[in-house]
Amino acid sequence: MTDHRGAAPPESPSTTLEVTRVTKRFGEGATEVVAVRDVSLRVAPGEIVLIMGPSGSGKTTLLLMLGALLRPSSGQIRLDGAILSALPESRLPDIRLRRFGFIFQDFNLLSALTALENVAIVAELAGASGKIARARATELLTQLGLSQRLHFLPEKLSGGEKQRVAIARALMNDPTFILADEPTANLDSKTGRDIMRLLRSIAKEQGRSIVIVSHDQRIKDIADRVLWLEDGTFAQATEMAVDPSEEAARSPA
Amino acid sequence: MATAGQDGIEAMTLAIRNLVQDRTRLLLSVAGVALATMLVLLLNGFVTGFNQQLSTYADHTPGSVVALQKGGRNLLVSTSLIPPTSREQVRAVDGVDEAIPVLLRTTILELQGQRRAIYLVGYDRALGGGPWKLTAGREPAADDEVVLDRVLASRHDLVVGGTVRILGRSFTVSGLSDQTTSWMLSFAFLRKGAAESLFLTPGATSLLLVKPSPGVAPETVRDRLRERTGLGAELKATLAENDRQFFLRYFSPPIQLMAAIASLVGALVVGLVLYTATIERQREYGMLKAIGARGRTLYRVTLLQALAVTALGVLPGVGLAFAASGLIEALRPQFSNAYDARSVATAIAASFVMALVATLLPTRVIARLAPADVFRR
Amino acid sequence: MLRFGLRNLFQSRTRLLISVGGVALALMLVLSLDAIFLGMERQLSAYIEGSSADVFVAQSGVRNMHMASSSLPRAIVDRVARVDGVADATPLAYVSTAVLTKNEQYLAYVIGLPPDASLGRPERVTNGAHMVGQGDVVIDGPVARAGVGVGDDVTILGRTFRVVGVSDAYGSVFNSFAFVPLDAFRTYGSDAVSYVLVRAQPGVAPSALAERIEAEVSDVTATVRADFAKQEIKVINDMATEVVAIMNLIGFVIGLAVMALTMYTATIARRAEYGVLKALGVRTARLYRAVIVQAVVTVALGLAAGVAFTLLVAAIVPRTGVQLSLALDAGSVAKTAAFALAITALAAVLPILGIARIDPAIVFRRRIA
Repeated sequence: MTDHRGAAPPESPSTTLEVTRVTKRFGEGATEVVAVRDVSLRVAPGEIVLIMGPSGSGKTTLLLMLGALLRPSSGQIRLDGAILSALPESRLPDIRLRRFGFIFQDFNLLSALTALENVAIVAELAGASGKIARARATELLTQLGLSQRLHFLPEKLSGGEKQRVAIARALMNDPTFILADEPTANLDSKTGRDIMRLLRSIAKEQGRSIVIVSHDQRIKDIADRVLWLEDGTFAQATEMAVDPSEEAARSPA
Repeated sequence: MATAGQDGIEAMTLAIRNLVQDRTRLLLSVAGVALATMLVLLLNGFVTGFNQQLSTYADHTPGSVVALQKGGRNLLVSTSLIPPTSREQVRAVDGVDEAIPVLLRTTILELQGQRRAIYLVGYDRALGGGPWKLTAGREPAADDEVVLDRVLASRHDLVVGGTVRILGRSFTVSGLSDQTTSWMLSFAFLRKGAAESLFLTPGATSLLLVKPSPGVAPETVRDRLRERTGLGAELKATLAENDRQFFLRYFSPPIQLMAAIASLVGALVVGLVLYTATIERQREYGMLKAIGARGRTLYRVTLLQALAVTALGVLPGVGLAFAASGLIEALRPQFSNAYDARSVATAIAASFVMALVATLLPTRVIARLAPADVFRR
Repeated sequence: MLRFGLRNLFQSRTRLLISVGGVALALMLVLSLDAIFLGMERQLSAYIEGSSADVFVAQSGVRNMHMASSSLPRAIVDRVARVDGVADATPLAYVSTAVLTKNEQYLAYVIGLPPDASLGRPERVTNGAHMVGQGDVVIDGPVARAGVGVGDDVTILGRTFRVVGVSDAYGSVFNSFAFVPLDAFRTYGSDAVSYVLVRAQPGVAPSALAERIEAEVSDVTATVRADFAKQEIKVINDMATEVVAIMNLIGFVIGLAVMALTMYTATIARRAEYGVLKALGVRTARLYRAVIVQAVVTVALGLAAGVAFTLLVAAIVPRTGVQLSLALDAGSVAKTAAFALAITALAAVLPILGIARIDPAIVFRRRIA
């Protein structure tokens, strides 16, 4: 699903996401709160970055800015070379639709649609015809092991299955960048591990960048980098790349 | 391959499934729309039916031209009085085949403690202008006989041979007529002489129903009457239409008030359903906005829901209106409802307009949804 | 529980507004139709009530004016005047017909009075003369409000009259009034009058006088003013009864549907909260009370809004020139309140059933979609 709109196709940079000295202030004067302060970050294609931190650290605010849902007060965010903060408000939904994939803590599937329909709808929103959308959705869901669950409503799916549907949905429009908010918070530990491994394989095998915001310590196992956000800034950075158990990497999600 | 728009099957599916997920709510809202549609139709049907009842005398009596008091513009609504010599005068005009004198007046009868408005028609049996359809008995043959409308008679247990007092005098019911009633008043027929005596106006005539000779246009007769007699003259159909317009002027506002209220109720019902359906899905819609769906798409989902609820409700509404009319007419035959394709189409169109208005509310909710909220704890 | 119910109700302002609005509208169907007929009735009887006559004498069997026809020979007037206890007897000729102006026609009660009439005269002549001489007319009502004024000509019963006065006392939706000389009614040799207005001598009871008149004068009906007015109203009333009944039924059903929908959606929306309360041990009966309180408050607000809005329409409409007149009385409000009560009771059934079915375990399930 390629982007037919817009200007020249983005160059293939070595950086998918580039955050440069981004600050977010709320309020004015005496009531001013600086939620994110002078944050910089670079994420390469296929890289998994985990952002951790206590509540109130500005994680959510940073998440929103990365997701083009909030404009920074100062600084710049570039995605595939395009400066998000320079784009008019009206173009952002399209960017989110086609360049991002979102994974939420609460799965946020549409309760009235089946798994297949939940995934297909995002392609339809991007302009694909119903038939094509469904075909691709079927393909994705099958790859994720849900071929037997295509026509189930979310209420009939387990937590892990729901998150996999959500992942399929996130992948539908072929995004370069996936943003995951507490993807394992509502899953039991085994399922959580499965999902983590799935995310890692998506990143590594498909070359997509993934930024995960989470409390879950175990995600460190799959992340290339862990960043600690506290009081609006990154406190420490750990470069690490430890693959989780090799045999698990072989098995289908 | 790729279409320009953002919606299609999945958006429609979402709209319908969201709506249908709560069966009870859907049922209640469809009922609300149906009732509102029914009421609008009933009201309009009532007006149409009443219009037909109003012109029943004009429609069924002989003559296409009427000679009446100069300046008169109505057949039944206002009083007219012309000299006894008028008949001879009019008959002398060429092109006139016959001139039928009638004496008309409203009066109030007291029947079983109820006051009933009556249109008394004094007529000459040999000439016409009296009842055109009898369901029982015969026309009055004596000055103390009267023909009553059958619906009025049945409401008050009157039968042929029974007695009724009109303006202090006793009359025997000689026959019952049909097509001579409305919810406001009924016709009653007397011999002309009897009417003159009742009203203390010997020889008086209200109008002449004029029959043009074969081959002569009514308009010609009308014009000649105006020129050659001192009387007023008009086409009977025009006078009847004036009667209708007159009543319409007075009935329109209340009917329109009721219809407006009914329409608003329908809009409110649809609005409430859409509003609750949207509020329930706030998180989902917010999520869709977050992942890049445009507000436009969600508005269309709402619109679809509005149309769906309305479509489900209007047809039962039309059915209910017909059923209710049938019931009302069976139980209370003085009410007559009439429908035509246009009134039904108008009522249905009005319902859909209500639905559109109703989408304003959920649209506001959607517009206000902050996609950022999807990340809030 | 009361506070919980009320808090829930007012929490969603929009939903409350919609439901109150829906109930108000449904009840307005009942209220406004009543108001329309009452408005008609009130104005019909205004002339009668405002006249200074104690007794109305009419042709045998006639007890009102509207749509009635009454004919009395002129000689009757003297005979009535001679009855013991009669202070004044004024003949009045009356016909319901069209008054034609240059462009329009108005239905009017045309009233013919002798020049020296002491009873039945137009009240509150705001413009021009009182007394009506040959060829003169005093007008009232829609024809006057349409701008016809002193000096203008109108045509009544084929003859031209000049407006010498305009009054503002009796005009109603349907009818204007036109006061002309009694002689103008003398057509084609007929000397008949319609009514004789009678004033009783001081100390004489009108009802007794009426009886005496009927006894001494043949072929007449004598009615005291209050009864005459009541009969006038009864004509409209009897005509209206079934129309009103039908509309009442429809209004009730619509109100019920709206309330049922409202209560149902409100309860479903709060399902989680009710579940929590149940889990905490609150007895179902107390939850019912919360629902009933919500129903009562919603309907009460709807009733108040319906009444208020009907009064508002009643006040505004005459100013817009629309031919509609509304009047509200306590009886109508009471009846509507009774409907409202019935609606409340019935509409609460659905949500009560819904609450009974809520499984308190719902509170322990995680929020998942």
